[in-house]
Amino acid sequence: MERKVVKVVMAKLGLDIHWRGVVAVSRLLRDAGMEVVYLGNQFPEAIVNAAIQEGADVVGLSTLGGNHAVLGPKVVQLLREKGMDDVMVIMGGVIPEEDIPALKAAGIVEVFGPETAIDEIVACINANVRQVG
Amino acid sequence: MTKLFNEAAIRQTAKETERWRKETLQDKGGSGSYTTESGIPIELLYTPEALAGMEYNRDIGYPGEPPFVRGIYPNMYRGRLFTVRQLAGFGAPEDCNRRIRFLLDNGATGVNIVFDLPTIRGYNSDDPEAEGNVGQCGVAVDSLEDMEALFAGVPIDQVSVSLVTHLPSVTVVLLSMYMVMAEKRGIPFAKLAGTTQNDFLMETTVGSGPEILPPQASFRLQCDAIEYAARHLPRWNPVSYNGYNLREAGTNAVQEVAVAIANAIATAEELIRRGLPIDAFARRMSFFWDLCNDFFEEIAKCRASRKVFYEVMKNRFNALDERSCLMRFHVQTAGITLTKIEPLNNIARSAIQGLAAILGGAQSLHIDSYDEAYSAPTEQAALVSLRTQQILQAETNVVNTVDPLAGSYYVEYLTKEMANRIWGYIQEIEQRGGLIQAVESGWMHREISNYAYQQQKDIESGKRKIVGVNYMRSGQATQGNIEVFRYPETEGRQKAKLASLRERRNNDIVTASLAVLREKCRSRENLIPYVVEAVKANATLGEIEEVFRQEFGLWQFPLA
Repeated sequence: MERKVVKVVMAKLGLDIHWRGVVAVSRLLRDAGMEVVYLGNQFPEAIVNAAIQEGADVVGLSTLGGNHAVLGPKVVQLLREKGMDDVMVIMGGVIPEEDIPALKAAGIVEVFGPETAIDEIVACINANVRQVG
Repeated sequence: MTKLFNEAAIRQTAKETERWRKETLQDKGGSGSYTTESGIPIELLYTPEALAGMEYNRDIGYPGEPPFVRGIYPNMYRGRLFTVRQLAGFGAPEDCNRRIRFLLDNGATGVNIVFDLPTIRGYNSDDPEAEGNVGQCGVAVDSLEDMEALFAGVPIDQVSVSLVTHLPSVTVVLLSMYMVMAEKRGIPFAKLAGTTQNDFLMETTVGSGPEILPPQASFRLQCDAIEYAARHLPRWNPVSYNGYNLREAGTNAVQEVAVAIANAIATAEELIRRGLPIDAFARRMSFFWDLCNDFFEEIAKCRASRKVFYEVMKNRFNALDERSCLMRFHVQTAGITLTKIEPLNNIARSAIQGLAAILGGAQSLHIDSYDEAYSAPTEQAALVSLRTQQILQAETNVVNTVDPLAGSYYVEYLTKEMANRIWGYIQEIEQRGGLIQAVESGWMHREISNYAYQQQKDIESGKRKIVGVNYMRSGQATQGNIEVFRYPETEGRQKAKLASLRERRNNDIVTASLAVLREKCRSRENLIPYVVEAVKANATLGEIEEVFRQEFGLWQFPLA
């Protein structure tokens, strides 16, 4: 069976200004064969709307700005409200360890810290993404 | 003029080096390719050959004299030690005020304030865009009253204060608040010493955001602040050309310096067009460098940057006042080099980078804290950074002689090479129509993105080693036992203060002052006096920024 490629929508969360990591990860996911759309800075509503429009399988949120605890779960919640429970949400950035359990409890599949290898992110997506194709 | 080494001596050295290579080194020179972080080839050994053709007075000279390679002051740190300027910024202004006083009480000699993302991107704490970010990664400042709370009890007529304002649009507001606060305390503007960052690249290139002013508008506001300071704030550095964040976003050391100097060139051209002579403003331009791990290259960068800036001011703008030609710079150690794994290793990294800053002749220094891959620094981590500075100043003896690496064949070679490459990149920017055009076209963004991507690939492949991460990684690579810095709920407190302010202030005066500001945005007048009036009327930061957004429009960040 031919398998369509995984589609990832990546966003810089809210007002966070540090775009280096999200752009590097976006390009590396593309190198790994995924289709990646980088939205730039967006708030949860716009991220969810873009995910719907793009038919995203994965939403990647990047923040080094401390807004993960409030805005991360909000993205998951808005996706659920739109019936998009099967879209996988992952996060990356500078996020304190002790905040991660709450993010996972809110439905974020994985939270990646600064030294994550791209293979780890790719493996996590492949293991958890919905059936594509 | 005499050369450091005459031609006969160079020929003799070349011959001897060849002999040494055959007889003594033999095949032990290593077969790998060695380069600095920015790609300058590194030889196994440097000899006087590397300095062939160099003239001491012309190319290196004396500290406090052109071309200022050895430093901008004749006595450097014997005259005045570099300012210990540790960043502080979190929570509400009242919380941050306590950290400022903690640092000053423990021997910090300057203040350095970072603001939270809503403030830095021009929103009030109660704007919807601010949700989840109030008081995170910086202090929230919404109004003149917040600025006054931030500096309560801080002697701003004696301590120099750096406001890390990032964007020009935010600079004009926060600087106005600072001036109005001083006026209310009866402190004359002539006594205000400090720095605002005020770099249009922070608004349009280095930091991304959901709503961004067009490069031309941001650049205009940058120049407004510099022009105003030239006329009214004799001890204020109205701009800190921010190589630091550019480097952190993704450039090498050459690009970092070249882009910052290209911005200084663009500014000088604009202010001359506005009728100011170069000597009226250039001496208050300041710079901000990021010192990463390539120890000698970073030192060479600092030395070379002074020379290039001198040449720009002297030869291109015909500055007569020598102070116009002095590149003064602040250094922050490289946040990008700090790891989350084994965080205490970061103390070693930061200390080495701090040492490079001193050997490079920095005017002020912030040393990063070991826990910055976790959160804003805890008080304990901030104290280790402060103590690292004090150890460098008091225990190592490195501050007691000027530019001690001068004359090192390697460091002088690298300094010359860095200067050439910085000039080369400045020329490339000018060939693209100048810096503003290079930003508008998205070229600058692509340069950064490509570098960041390549560097990440080099980390992934192991070509670029990071101890504890992809090199010497321990079996149980732990994240250490780092306490995360938390502060009391800020958003609610800031919102309550804003509500109260809107009750108490005269809203008619606020509306009128904002209307005047709106009108003036359409003129070519300097906007600072009108921002000052709005601030005096207790208009909030977000209200003033909204005027800018509406009048100047928004620009599409070319990476979205």
